[in-house]
Amino acid sequence: MPIKLMAASRRRPGLTRAEYFRYIEHYHGTVARLERFKIERYIQNHVIDGAFGVLTDTSHKNKATDREAVVELHFDSFRDLLDTLEPQGVEQSRANMDGKYFADEPTNIIVMAEEAELPVANPTPKFNPGLGEPNQGAVKVMHYIMRRPDVFPNDYYRLWRLAHDEALAKAPYANEMFRRIVVSKRSRVNDNDAAARAHFRMVDPPVYDMVVSFWLDSMEQAGAFRQYFEALRESPLEFADWSESFFLYVRPVRIIDDAPPKD
Amino acid sequence: MTQDKNTPEWKAQKTYAQNRIDSKHKATLPPLTPEEEARPFAKYLYEEIPQPDPVHYGKMEQPIDPADSIGPEDINRLLDVEALERGVEIGWCNRPDGSGYIANTIVYPGVTADMIDWWFAWHPLEDLRYRIWYPPQHGGIMLSPIDRARILDPAVPNREKNWGVTHYVTENCDCGMENVDISFRSPADMGFDMDRFNRAAATFAGGGGWAVTVHKDDDSITAPAIMCHTFYEVPGGLRHRTRFWMGLRFTEQGKPELCLPRGVQVPSVAVQGLARHNVKEFTRFREFLPRIYKELGHSMYC
Repeated sequence: MPIKLMAASRRRPGLTRAEYFRYIEHYHGTVARLERFKIERYIQNHVIDGAFGVLTDTSHKNKATDREAVVELHFDSFRDLLDTLEPQGVEQSRANMDGKYFADEPTNIIVMAEEAELPVANPTPKFNPGLGEPNQGAVKVMHYIMRRPDVFPNDYYRLWRLAHDEALAKAPYANEMFRRIVVSKRSRVNDNDAAARAHFRMVDPPVYDMVVSFWLDSMEQAGAFRQYFEALRESPLEFADWSESFFLYVRPVRIIDDAPPKD
Repeated sequence: MTQDKNTPEWKAQKTYAQNRIDSKHKATLPPLTPEEEARPFAKYLYEEIPQPDPVHYGKMEQPIDPADSIGPEDINRLLDVEALERGVEIGWCNRPDGSGYIANTIVYPGVTADMIDWWFAWHPLEDLRYRIWYPPQHGGIMLSPIDRARILDPAVPNREKNWGVTHYVTENCDCGMENVDISFRSPADMGFDMDRFNRAAATFAGGGGWAVTVHKDDDSITAPAIMCHTFYEVPGGLRHRTRFWMGLRFTEQGKPELCLPRGVQVPSVAVQGLARHNVKEFTRFREFLPRIYKELGHSMYC
């Protein structure tokens, strides 16, 4: 898919997590299905757990240290994305007006990104009702990695890839359990993100240049990511501000997806 | 092979954040530092800059018929020289989809493909190397450390040094000083049919760029463009054909994609500005490249 919009939000004041999840999946998700515009695929990732910063930090450096969901809206083209965020003939879409009922909108974090899939050593071999579709999984880890401001963006991606390959080599459990890995690289079209900022009503959001997603069979394998993460952080390559980075264990929920299930 | 980092080519390295800060100063075209004055190529900065042929420059006065333009998806039409010669080779326009289009061509007597390959690899190593190309409008340039190492790696042929490399350029394309990040690609990654390319073209430099004012704020537009410089052997030298497609980017999969909101077009002043800048900087290039290559073209270092 050429481009997608990722929006990480936390729940608005007064909502429990259960209320937030019920609303975003069943009400907001239905609104999106009814007013689909040019959305090709829409996945909600409901947060199970996560960590912000690293153990060596004595206090948080992230502006917001809780997230309830990351939604991923996929589009065939950048123009389709714009047509959906700013639909013609409509002052505000229902989805746009609905955000305030569940999200703390000023703290939303968006990344307009393009995906690149990386090979894994051990993809799910075949259809299994217990494990789900091939190359998928019941749990996903979304790793938001803050680029160090002194590092050039093109070097940041290259250094991360070197560190990633080395970390996988040092983390056998992770290497065995990661079913799929997708790198979401921030697109430069994101530099002109006025429409997205207006849609998600963010105020001075942090900018993440990359989000890496790892699929696991179930939450029982979450330790695989922790093993990989510790190996990644041991890399001498300096490309990330780990204190402003975070990872989320999430449950992917399909809201809009016309692709037939794989078997 | 370990590289000596005490050379001017390595000492020019700045961080990404520092270069963005420095670009505001570079945009003022400041006087040279004592270290820059001592560089063997500093003298080129003070030369009289040749003016474009008035007839040639005049062809950038008015837009051409968009029917005479080609899109980046038809890049292989640049390999059909006979058809190109029958078409419009100099001009600019807005295409019906709103994108900006520029075509230019210029003949370089006494220039070889090796000179072109050397220049495009050599010039991004220091601000001054870029400034001397076109002093009135070129402010400076930067590479990332990994890209710098590639450019300086003697194992990488000059022709391939820029493939995958980004030039962080500060220049004025007749619409004010901008930071332009140009990510160079191989001709195959541009979409050229390489069998045809190798028969028709002598060499190439191009890729995708993003341009934004050096005084960027939250409301600034970062504008994409696809740039294509193709060089062809002609008797006694090379013919250079330029194409720009403004408002388009390369997707992660390497396909050109229009990035304009519906109903929006690239401002014609920006298209014409880049067209005029292109004529001016390559008029200078034509006259200056053989001389500097003869003096310094044996190496990336000097």
